[in-house]
Amino acid sequence: MPPAWETIIGLETHVQLRTKSKMFCGCSTAFGAPPNTQVCPVCLGLPGALPAANGAAIGLAVRGALALGCTVHPKSVFARKNYFYPDLPKGYQISQFDQPLATSGTLSFLSAERGIVNATIVRLHIEEDAGKSIHDRFAKATAVDLNRSGVPLIEIVGGPDLRSPAEARAYLQLLKQLLEYIGISDCDMEKGSLRVDANVSVRRVGDTALNTRTEVKNINSFAFVEKALTVERDRQIALNESGGTVTQQTMLYDSKENSVRPQRSKEESHDYRYFPDPDLPPLVLTPEFVAEQQSELPELPGAKRDRFVATYGLSREHATVVTASRAVADYFETVAKTSAEPQHAANWVMTEALADAKDHNDELRVSPPALSQIIGLVKGGTLSHQAAKRVFAEVAAKGGDPRSVAESLGVIQVADTNIIAGWVTDVLAAHPTEVERYKKGETKLMPFFVGQLMRASKGKADPKLAQRVLEEKLAS
Amino acid sequence: MSVSREEVLRIAQLAELDVDEEGLPTLAEQMSRILDYVAQLSAVPANGTVKVFVPGPDAIRFRVDEVVPSQLAFGPEDFAPDFKEGFFVVPKLGQFE
Amino acid sequence: MSDAKAVADRLVKAKRLNALLTPPKELRKSLNTQIAAARPTGVLYGMPVAVKDNICTLEFTTTCGSRILEGYRSPYEATAVAKLKAAGALIAGKTNCDEFAMGSSTEHSAYGRVLHPLDKARVPGGSSGGSAALVGAGALPAALGSETGGSVRQPAAFCGVVGIKPTYGRVSRYGLVAFGSSLDQIGVFGRSVHDAARVLSVISGRDPRDSTCEDRDPLRLPTVPESLQGFVVGLPKEYFPPELDPAVRRACDRAIRMMKELGAAVREVSLPHTPYAVPTYYVIAPAEASSNLARYDGVRYGPRFNGATDLRSLYRSTRGQGFGPEVRRRILVGTYVLSSGYYDAYYRRAQQMRALIAQDFRNVFDRGVDLLFTPTVPSPAFKAGEKLADPIAMYMSDIFTVTANLAGLPAISLPIGRVKGLPIGGQLIGQAFLEDEMIEAAYALERVVPATDEA
Ligand SMILES: [Mg+2]
Ligand SMILES: [Zn+2]
Repeated sequence: MPPAWETIIGLETHVQLRTKSKMFCGCSTAFGAPPNTQVCPVCLGLPGALPAANGAAIGLAVRGALALGCTVHPKSVFARKNYFYPDLPKGYQISQFDQPLATSGTLSFLSAERGIVNATIVRLHIEEDAGKSIHDRFAKATAVDLNRSGVPLIEIVGGPDLRSPAEARAYLQLLKQLLEYIGISDCDMEKGSLRVDANVSVRRVGDTALNTRTEVKNINSFAFVEKALTVERDRQIALNESGGTVTQQTMLYDSKENSVRPQRSKEESHDYRYFPDPDLPPLVLTPEFVAEQQSELPELPGAKRDRFVATYGLSREHATVVTASRAVADYFETVAKTSAEPQHAANWVMTEALADAKDHNDELRVSPPALSQIIGLVKGGTLSHQAAKRVFAEVAAKGGDPRSVAESLGVIQVADTNIIAGWVTDVLAAHPTEVERYKKGETKLMPFFVGQLMRASKGKADPKLAQRVLEEKLAS
Repeated sequence: MSVSREEVLRIAQLAELDVDEEGLPTLAEQMSRILDYVAQLSAVPANGTVKVFVPGPDAIRFRVDEVVPSQLAFGPEDFAPDFKEGFFVVPKLGQFE
Repeated sequence: MSDAKAVADRLVKAKRLNALLTPPKELRKSLNTQIAAARPTGVLYGMPVAVKDNICTLEFTTTCGSRILEGYRSPYEATAVAKLKAAGALIAGKTNCDEFAMGSSTEHSAYGRVLHPLDKARVPGGSSGGSAALVGAGALPAALGSETGGSVRQPAAFCGVVGIKPTYGRVSRYGLVAFGSSLDQIGVFGRSVHDAARVLSVISGRDPRDSTCEDRDPLRLPTVPESLQGFVVGLPKEYFPPELDPAVRRACDRAIRMMKELGAAVREVSLPHTPYAVPTYYVIAPAEASSNLARYDGVRYGPRFNGATDLRSLYRSTRGQGFGPEVRRRILVGTYVLSSGYYDAYYRRAQQMRALIAQDFRNVFDRGVDLLFTPTVPSPAFKAGEKLADPIAMYMSDIFTVTANLAGLPAISLPIGRVKGLPIGGQLIGQAFLEDEMIEAAYALERVVPATDEA
């Protein structure tokens, strides 16, 4: 039997930078405006218009490069990528070619099959987006909207380091998390601010040379990354096993059919005639500028996770969960500090807070001080754990101060010995047989008495205090 | 150096230019002459010791990231050859799709 | 303050030259509106300035002498035009030019050739032939043109007027329709050095919209000097070859003698890479043009030709029929030299050669030379049709002007005499951003040289 197949995947990710205005003009980048209303001479490619670079976009791109551990080059060059397409107004895209902004970084992610994988980032460069062609708006015609034309992007080219569709998904998830963390993009695939193309090839396990690859495009939702790549991988394997060969081409993924089909195009090998854009002097970055971008970077997720393990004594797993997003990590850390109960804080965040957020647009609805207070109330014996969950839910839904909420819910624990003694008397009177057996040495019945007492008190009794009073009475 | 008809056609395709059959031989001949003429540039040493020169500022200027109001005295509907419901309209992409 | 009627009348009288693309009625109407709006405190208040048709104006169409922009009205105006208007000048119509500024005779316009103001059988030069012809005919004190390889200085020399090409980066290119972006500059024509210089000073200076425009104050005009004492003028020997037209040589010799008499020190210098300038130019300019002209695709503006039913035929018919033969030829050459496998052999080599050419100039200026003096064009205005069949012969007309574009240097052409009634231009090439020195020398030379006398 011949050896099994191995899949080789490299991702090219286009990420929209979070700026107010476009890369080379002052038009708004806001999403959802009526078509062709956020346009000007520059992004319409009108005769005579010229580009002027957005400094903020350059800063964000540098931050992205630094976060990925890339070498940021002190001098890079904008180049023209020439091709004709109706949503490409100038007949060329301003991009970077042989002198990109940054090269050779790494993204380390956890692969289910191989453990920690250090995937290479080959290059990261700045470019402008094209507009949008809409094919189903008019019969026999294509509608072109240029609102997106000129929106700033970075293209992150990953090496052929991924070995399965699942790894591709894990890589992309981590990349997205990192970019969101550092705040350079909202990485929303549905709005097109994160787009991914994949280069895919297969080879027999043990082979070292790379076989002909295809490029899979049109993966327009996060949910489809793994599916699309699986379909293409299976297609290539089947093709090879039936004696065929893979041809280098672009495959379009159809999410409705969960299938891929070759892009119809006569000239598959493009000749982009790249050359340095004579309208833009070189992009020169001073060491000060790069240092400033470095200082704007927050603690990155990996470093934060390690610190949470060291500082708060969390397990690696728990630390991974609470550092999944910057908002959650900041939330956890505030609660951990103010409550001085980091493990409890982590438990609350991982269970109640994240569950609630999931159902409410990722919003952490209970403020950190309120959660700290709830943790304090449990620790001080004022609330049982069950009661605290009710209070959390109530505060999440309606707001308010946890103690007052607990009072109005009537779930404050009773720690008054006299009241508890009354319930104890009732419970013992109601269960004479069990009292008899306990007194003969069957002390394992204590939880039974506590349970009965909690029922009698409708959950309000402080269980520890209740047990103490029970022991005293049964001993007498 | 001589540019063939096929080469002219390939280049014309890249440049999205119609070239008519009758004009093709003249065009190929003129392009050949121009390319022969500029071939004198091979006098530049090819070893890369000569830097390239482009006039203008040494470094790009950074524009402040702010939205500026429309720079158009009138909108696309007044200059576009086919504009409907806010969109530029072009024939279907055909093989581009 | 000239009134609209007088300006329009003068321009209409020059109609036979086919130099103005704006219809007379439209021109009159616009001039009336502009006069009402003009700033009386502006330094150019009431001065009519015609504008080459590859510079965007709100007032008139901007066609670049091409069918592909027939009827195109720009929704914004060039920075240079806005500055002229802010200074109180009147935009006195759009001038005919070679299509997309590609040519040296203004015969390559979709709207017909421009006639030489002194001899209708001859060309006015190009590509800014319409602007040069109007100023040469005395219809206007000044006009804007544009240069990529000599398109202001060469027609200025042919038409017997002053033409200035500023340093690359001195004047904003925003709104100048791009041809060869790394070479293009807006230039100025004037009846006199002063007319040209004061218009240049108004349109010069920083513009955040053009990343290649230097962050500098507008040019300050020098005063007219008493002499040329202290000036060292270099005569590059490559610009005075044995085969130079004898009349052009005589006119130059006379001008050189006069500069000496004014106190200038004159010395022969060498710019050894000069022979490579035209081939260098004819790689860089078409390469950049092939990319700059990709936007004319019939999608967003301009007319569409034929009823194309698929996109590719829309592209090909629009571009195939919208562009004239010279533009098509240059797009093809430019596409070829940038295409895969040829970039290093052509475009990169050309940019390297450009460095050697620029270094030639630096070497000379570093050795104490302030300015260079040369003929502007090797011969006086040629006959219409004479060079149409041979693109390279036409290209050679730029041989003495193209170097300043390649090196990004300022240069001025001024009339220095005539041969059989046809004007001859002399050129001063200055150092980068030292237009003031160049203009000072031109003032002095202009005062003494018998510009309309036979050489
Ligand atoms: Mg890209
Ligand atoms: Zn814009």
